[in-house]
Amino acid sequence: MKTKILEIIMFFTVLIAGCAQETAYIDTMHDDGKAVMGLDYRDFDQAASKMVQSMLGSGTLKKKDASRYVMTTGRIMNDTMQRIDTDQLMAKIEQELLNSGQVVMTSAVGGKGAPDNMVYEMRDIRDSAQSDEFNKDTLAAKGQLIAPELSISGKILQRNIRYSNNVQQVEYYFQLKITDLTTGLRFWQEETLIGKRGSNKSVSW
Amino acid sequence: MKTITNIVLLVLLVVFTGCYDPADPRVNLREGVGSDDIIDNIVTRPVAYAFSALIGEGIGVTQAVTRRNDAGFLELHINGHNRSQFTRRFQYRVEWLDENGLLIQTKTSVWQRYSAMGKSPFSLKVVAPRKEAVNFRMDTRKWE
Repeated sequence: MKTKILEIIMFFTVLIAGCAQETAYIDTMHDDGKAVMGLDYRDFDQAASKMVQSMLGSGTLKKKDASRYVMTTGRIMNDTMQRIDTDQLMAKIEQELLNSGQVVMTSAVGGKGAPDNMVYEMRDIRDSAQSDEFNKDTLAAKGQLIAPELSISGKILQRNIRYSNNVQQVEYYFQLKITDLTTGLRFWQEETLIGKRGSNKSVSW
Repeated sequence: MKTITNIVLLVLLVVFTGCYDPADPRVNLREGVGSDDIIDNIVTRPVAYAFSALIGEGIGVTQAVTRRNDAGFLELHINGHNRSQFTRRFQYRVEWLDENGLLIQTKTSVWQRYSAMGKSPFSLKVVAPRKEAVNFRMDTRKWE
């Protein structure tokens, strides 16, 4: 009897293990995977690519004296029903803008994710008793930080629309703008729409 | 009888050709918008659709031009034509090459979606994100 139970347990174990979905790497270069109602990395890649091309194609970032603009990332609002870290979009854009040679990003000021706390921690150390432990010449002097000239900010927003009884339409808008921090004038603005239509049962949050 | 048939045919021909007003080639008047003519009408259209599907008409690229924009970045302008009667959805990806023919790694070289309506011209513009780009290669695939 005991052997029979063991055999049954073993049979079901093998059966369940055989049905389990294997884990596989995503071919991010040629991903033929089905679209999902939420935002996935392909959407961020597409939106970032379009934004960067628009920025560089517009000539907005070309400085008259051929030097580079100092830019910071301001507030990027996530107005979707999903938990999105907006750095997922901005990291790609910042990287491409830096590599374009037209912009240098500052980590001294900015919205969430932009500043590097070490900039200020080192200054706190400089002004504290701990500074004795450091070579004075290697500590940043006062008045060394460069203020940003441009700020990039924006929003990702989502609209859910009932398309028919069984189908819903989800629209994602990626909006970005570049503002001249000296004058407050807006130099560039772009919106990219990614729309998806699918089953009402699919969850987009 | 033969004369009547000839007259009817003549009348139809005059009606179709007489109404034919060649539009500016820059303006594409689609089915249901522009007037029918002797080539494109309610009788010939289903045949044209079937023929288009049969011979597998698709996208053709008529021109691929590169130019440097004011900021010094290479721009690629693609002009093409969807020869099919049906809307063609496809994806494209442009990769940029430096003067040594080596690939420039960039996050902008991703698959982008595009849609060209049947029997219509289309244009694409892609901007290289680096000034060292001097050439390109473009790949396409079906948008499933």
